[in-house]
Formats: sequence, C-alpha cells, structure tokens
Amino acid sequence: MAVTRTSSVPDMVVLSGELWQELLKLVTAQYKVIGPVRRGSEHVFAPVKDPRDIDMAYVTTILPPKKVFHQPFQVLFSFDTEEGTLAEEESGEEKVLWGIHPCDMHAIAILDKVYGIEYPDPYYLRNRENTIIVAKNCTEVGENCFCLSMGTGPALRSGYDLLLTDLGGRYLVEVGTEKGRKLLSGLELVPAPRVVLVEKEKRLSQARQKFKKRMITQGIQELLEENFRHPIWEELMRECLACGSCTMVCPTCFCYNVVDKIDLDLKTGKRQREWDSCMLLEYAQVALGQNFRRDRDARIKQRIYHKLLYYEPQFGTLGCVGCGRCIGACVKRIDITDVVSRLAESVESDR
Amino acid sequence: MSTKLKVSVYKLSSCAGCQLEFLNLEPVLLDLVGAIEFSYFPMARRRYEPGPYDIGFVEGAVTCGEEIERLKKARQECRILVALGSCACYGGLPSIKNWTPERVIVSRVYENSSLIHSIKAYGIDEYVQVDAYLKGCPVNKDELVEFIKGTLLGIRPRLRPHSVCVECKLNEYECISVIKREPCMGPVTTAGCGALCPSRGKACDGCRGPANDANAESLARTFSEYGLHRSDIVRRFRKFAGLTQEFSRGADAV
Repeated sequence: MAVTRTSSVPDMVVLSGELWQELLKLVTAQYKVIGPVRRGSEHVFAPVKDPRDIDMAYVTTILPPKKVFHQPFQVLFSFDTEEGTLAEEESGEEKVLWGIHPCDMHAIAILDKVYGIEYPDPYYLRNRENTIIVAKNCTEVGENCFCLSMGTGPALRSGYDLLLTDLGGRYLVEVGTEKGRKLLSGLELVPAPRVVLVEKEKRLSQARQKFKKRMITQGIQELLEENFRHPIWEELMRECLACGSCTMVCPTCFCYNVVDKIDLDLKTGKRQREWDSCMLLEYAQVALGQNFRRDRDARIKQRIYHKLLYYEPQFGTLGCVGCGRCIGACVKRIDITDVVSRLAESVESDR
Repeated sequence: MSTKLKVSVYKLSSCAGCQLEFLNLEPVLLDLVGAIEFSYFPMARRRYEPGPYDIGFVEGAVTCGEEIERLKKARQECRILVALGSCACYGGLPSIKNWTPERVIVSRVYENSSLIHSIKAYGIDEYVQVDAYLKGCPVNKDELVEFIKGTLLGIRPRLRPHSVCVECKLNEYECISVIKREPCMGPVTTAGCGALCPSRGKACDGCRGPANDANAESLARTFSEYGLHRSDIVRRFRKFAGLTQEFSRGADAV
C-alpha cells in the first residue's frame, strides 16, 4: 500500500509532528534553502542548513525575499580590457525560498512584471526561474501589517509552488505546481480530507479580525492627484531624515545603480549593480550637478505617489502590498497609511 | 602610465590613525606602490623627495598658526589636495574644544600655558582650497583605494554621499535606533564605512560627518524623545563635525 501512496503526491496534505520535521529535513538536505531566521530581535531571510533555525512564527524580515532575485549587490560581469569582456558565471543551483508571506508573494508578482515583460532582465529571471517558492498564509498579524486593505493577504490564492497554512501544531500543505509537488515526493502521504479547508478558512478569517492598521484605497488616485500641494508634505519634509531606509526595505522598489569596481592594475574589474533609492538626494542628480528632486518633500512625494498612483498605469496594480516594512524601519515613525488617512480627513473636513 | 603618481602625506593635529591606514592596506599595498610613489611620507619612509606632488593627503585639524603655514605650503606643492579623515575635513575630535574658552582648555592639559599658542580647531578648508574629502575616524581603506584609482584613471571616484542607514539595510543589520531606541547618528551621517559600528551592535557615532541631505534637527528631536538630555544631544552632534552647518543645527535644535 505504501508504494502507491508515495508514487503520487496528493494536492493537499496535513503534516504534523514527525512528518513535518521529516519534510524540513528532506528539503534542507536536498536543496539550498533560504528561510526566515532570527537576527537579534529581528528576522532575515538567510540560507538554512539546520531546519531548526527556521522560525516559522516570524512576523516580518528586515529585507524582503525579493533580495534573492534582485540582489542588493549583483555582479553583472567581470571585465579585462586587454582580453575583452567575460561574462560572470552564475550557479544554476536550484533554491527553495521557504515561508514567504502573501504580501511578499504579491510583491514578487509585481517585480515579475517590472523585470520580466518590457525589458526582460536576465539576472533577475535566472534567479527567479531557479527558485521553488514555499509560501505561508498568515494566521498572525504584525502591528504594521495592512495587506488586508491592499487585497494582498492574509491568504494567498496563486503564485506559489507550495502553500502552507498553520492549523495550530500542524500544517496544511497545498500543492500549486509540479515543482512544488517534487518537494513532497520523498514522503509517505495521504490526501487531506476536504473538511480541512473549513479549518483553514476559520484560521484566516480569525486573522482578518486582527488587523489594526488600515489603508484607505478607495478613491486614492484622485485623493493624491488633488493634494499635491497639501501642507502635510511640508510637515513631512521637516520630519523625514532622507535616510532611505523606507525604500531599502520595500518589497516592490526596483531601482538600482550600476558601478564599476576596477582593480588596482586599472585593467581588470567587475561591473556590479546595487540597490538605489529615490529618497536619496543624489538619485535625481544629472551632469553638472543639476538635481530634479533637490527638495526632500519632492522625494517623499515621489516615493508615495509612485507606490500609490504611478504604478497603476505602469504595471496595472498599486505598488504597495501592505507589508508595513517602511513603517517599521522609519526612525521618525512616518506611516504611509497615516499620511493617506490624514489627506482623506482634511478633504472630508473641507466639504 | 609611464611615471608613477607622486604622493605626499602631511600630518597636522591628529592621532596619525588615518595615515596608518595606508600601511594597513597590506593586501593591496604592493599593487598600490606599483601605481603610486610615496614621495613624502615621514611615517613610512626616511627619505623625502621634494615636490611638486600629484596628490597631497593632509591628516589632522589645524590648531596653531605654524600649522596654517605648513598647510599653505602643502597646498602650493600639490596638484590635488585631499582632506584625509574627519579632523582634516571638519576639525574632527580636536574641534570639541571649540566651545570652551582656549584658556580653560589649555590649563586643563599644560602646566605652563605660555608655551602654547593654540587656536580654535578647524578643518583644512578653512585656510586652503580642498579638492577632495575622505571622511571618517579613521578613513575607510576601501574609499582611500577607490579615490587613488579614480585619480589614476582621471574619473570621479564613487564615494557614498548618503546616510549610513542605506549600508545598514543593505547588510541587514539590526536597527540600533528603531529596535534598541539608542541615539544612533546613522540617519544623518555619511556612509562609506559599511555601517561598521551598527554591524557590531553599536550606535553610529557620526564620525564621518553629515550626509548630503542630513536633517539633524529632526534627529535631535528623536534623541530627545529617547530620553537624551540636551547636553548629551549637543555632545553627539559636536563630537566630530560640530562646526558643520548641518550638525550645528542638530546641536541647537533642542
């Protein structure tokens, strides 16, 4: 009997105790796994060797998992001016991204459009194609989370290879793709009964009750268009440190700078790219020092307007997925949901 | 390049830690001396070659009249003059004395004040024109090499102008300010150090001086919210670059 069970992995299984541990062991033994691990009192996505290092109860991470595809520092190629250009070798190693929340999955879907359609980016796409994504629905909600308002969580509907839902001491595992099914193939599994979906839905609707933060999205385009000269921008200009943290931690920010790292022989070197940010003064500087966004409020507006207004015509979606990282990373506690609420309130009181 | 660039290294009032960084470049030092020649570098070479030099690195703050003279001579004999480290850039640590009367400072250290002719500590651009600033206490070795390479190639070297926070985030260091609520100078301080202090769990000290769009007043208000006394906030902004317009605004904010 056991033979027929292992040969075909069911679409939906419930794993608890030993079986769950076995899955983690199997996957970490076979693949390079990148999962949520503790760093001080925060979390980061990092390579996992020992499955016990994975902290499935993480709320958020310093950098979003986009860093696996769009790396903070990426060598594009190394060059030798005497020999000609040499392409940088990339490892074709298959990776598993473990425990990605729905907000970050939606952000990856946006980056897939940014880097995959008009100007396909070979570096991003190579990293993306080599990665199996194990997503995890959110049954707990962080203080800065507002994915519910953005329609990007706490439940994920598509885009995953495997999807986990914590049912309290056991996990519902749903198969999204054949790549995902492959991860389960070494285990003896029985299909989960349909009724487990009722339990899943119960957990997720409980999670929906836990949100404290909310973003007003109705009429947000008009609201922003009509309030470009609102006094709130001047107030933010006085507060904002222009440190760039909000954009560094954003899962949908995609800007980068390209720099040459030349060796001391001045003949060889590497061309690399690294994340850049529209919040930084030098970002909009051009030749001879002219700068199109010298004023801090212009940069603050650029960030918020890009996320909430300019993404839509570019990518057919809002550029914010409600992960709350920009709020959590801000030394001045500047809160994008609060900015929008205050704009809406002031419009309301004007009427 | 047929002839090597001639380099000179001068020392004013300083701890010599910045010029020591040249010698700490061990892994690339041999490559470096293949490209440049240390024509005047008293710490490292007994033999001096006369100027003019292509690049002159000046370490230290100007704290007496005699140093002004030496600095002006250095300017004359160097094609490119570089402020090496935060003392030369802003006055650095010696500049903490600038807010106390000279007489009080002198008597705290010396028995016979008649021998001391000390003046307020300034960065070198108070007296001469400066072509480049390498910030930090001490300077960052990678930036030092990056600057030399840029000069050899005749291109603008890439020195990070933005806040330390960017490097902190790129390396995913735990945020000293948000998580620990410690008065970290990172948000207003120039990057380029790789967020060295936060990488060790310590708040940024601001040693590299103001970033290109430093909002020191706002950060000073946050320090106040963290429970810092006014005098402590002033001390934080005056430790390395209190003479700069940006950090003096931070010191005066609360």
